[in-house]
Amino acid sequence: MQNVLVYVEHKKGQTRKVTFELATQARELADKLGGKAHAIVLGAGAKALAEQLASYPLDAVHYSEDGDVDAYLADPTIAYVQAAVAAIGPSLVLVPNTMQGRDIGSRLAARLGAGYAADVTGFAVDGGALVVTMPKMGGATISQAKFNAADHGIAAVRPNAFGAAKGGSGATVLELSKVSGAYRITIENEVEEASGELGLEEAATVVAGGRGLGGPEAFTGILKDLADAFGGAVGASRAAADAGWVPYSLQIGQTGKTVSPNLYIGVAISGAIQHKVGMRSSGTIVAINKDGQAPIAEFCDLLVVGDAFAIVPELTKLVRAAKA
Amino acid sequence: MKIVVTVKLVPDTNAEKRIDPGTQRLIRTGVETVLNPYDEYALEAALALKEKLADGSTVTVLAMAPEATKETLRKALAMGADDAVFLTDAALAGTDTLGTADVLAHALKNIGFDLVICGGLSDDGSTGGVPGALAEFLAVPGITNARSLEIIDGRVHAQRETDNGYQVVSAALPVMLSVTMAVGEPRYASLKGIMGAKKKPIAPMALANIGAPGSAGAAGAKISLLSTAPPPVRGKAKVVEATDGLSGAQAVLDFLKERKLV
Repeated sequence: MQNVLVYVEHKKGQTRKVTFELATQARELADKLGGKAHAIVLGAGAKALAEQLASYPLDAVHYSEDGDVDAYLADPTIAYVQAAVAAIGPSLVLVPNTMQGRDIGSRLAARLGAGYAADVTGFAVDGGALVVTMPKMGGATISQAKFNAADHGIAAVRPNAFGAAKGGSGATVLELSKVSGAYRITIENEVEEASGELGLEEAATVVAGGRGLGGPEAFTGILKDLADAFGGAVGASRAAADAGWVPYSLQIGQTGKTVSPNLYIGVAISGAIQHKVGMRSSGTIVAINKDGQAPIAEFCDLLVVGDAFAIVPELTKLVRAAKA
Repeated sequence: MKIVVTVKLVPDTNAEKRIDPGTQRLIRTGVETVLNPYDEYALEAALALKEKLADGSTVTVLAMAPEATKETLRKALAMGADDAVFLTDAALAGTDTLGTADVLAHALKNIGFDLVICGGLSDDGSTGGVPGALAEFLAVPGITNARSLEIIDGRVHAQRETDNGYQVVSAALPVMLSVTMAVGEPRYASLKGIMGAKKKPIAPMALANIGAPGSAGAAGAKISLLSTAPPPVRGKAKVVEATDGLSGAQAVLDFLKERKLV
């Protein structure tokens, strides 16, 4: 594989931060592999987003606003990406390691007969072969693996693992020609339940709360205020999600989301193994807990022993003042 | 209707995993094998559907794992699955994600199905790649990340979880469906279920029974594991006893400033 193709996940032209991380990483990889860096944007809002992506160091951004993409699940998307890969030549396809990214990436791997690596946090090119780094076993082990085939490969890349920077001389924006197919899964309706806030998996700062907070109020109150002061997102332990204090979409850990923000603040979270596996690879881990013997003491950088309800609002004020 | 649930057998999810610094392999001593927790949700969805249909539909579980872990499947039978197929073969060692999906597809075609239900992720490998690739290899519609499902006139209607809500989708059977944990808590096995599970059949299956797909094993893998290592060690935590809210908050702020995070 010489070229790199970024699959851009978006909704009506609104994309995630990880898209820009992938676009930036694509350039580096394409240079190492000796090929070109491309991106593909599909569905409603694709054209405007493609133009926005042109300011990242890509060679070309391909788009299509074909209505089929939003009318049928996965099949038309795969058909377009497959057509683009056929036109570009042997490629490494980068998808975000999100529910949608993994879905598209794995299906594409099956269609192309390509290797599929997920939750990738590092790339290296060794004698022409692509080597990826992936945390496994909930971060208890770090594996390195090599793509064997020379033609195509798919990598689902963990958000927040790479930096994003604009650059290059402006990518060429190209409209893809119509691809048709027999599509099988009809999307009948799309319902939004939460506002379009920053995804938990992508936030640079995560403020997570646990059972010790005693109820739902803290999550929309003091934790939300602290997260907002950082420009971050609120998460929760399984106990808090099971208690119905927050939706499951905020749960971090086994059967929930894996996060690796620059800064993770665990408030009244004891640090049970099932939470630990979802956040242990975070940059800096701060715990605020009334129990100095809580398991989180074993894998955090700073543990402040005290009353979360007293500390968190004061911290919010200090952070706001420091950032002002 | 024939419902087949694919289950993975994984090291106990609640056990602390450690790497032997000598062999660079996971220390398995004292670590039990359990049903992948995500797959228990798939099984729950299948059992709930079977009960709702109440039309003689059956639930079969399919696992691909080393021989020694076979009895772990009894739990799935105790929860209420009718029977199990246990695919085991020495030649499966080293199979990658794509190979796993291909081998499972061969097995499923051999077993026959109207609906395949998978968990969304495995607790150990966590590639999340099997459901999507499985749908492709089976050449059936793949509805991933479903949080609810029903069958109406030969079509699966499902709510599919998205980042900020859900999609309502539908496709004609046969279908491959993967679920999220929002489908409902897996049931506990009853005492009667546990007793009954002892008599339920676990049919053996080997690669030769399903046409020995070339994607199996390390030789068929598109990706090869080079090394496994423990994660970087985090230094011992600094511990501060807060006398009041402000002193605790100040301790955090000072620490974050030191690390240039504010």
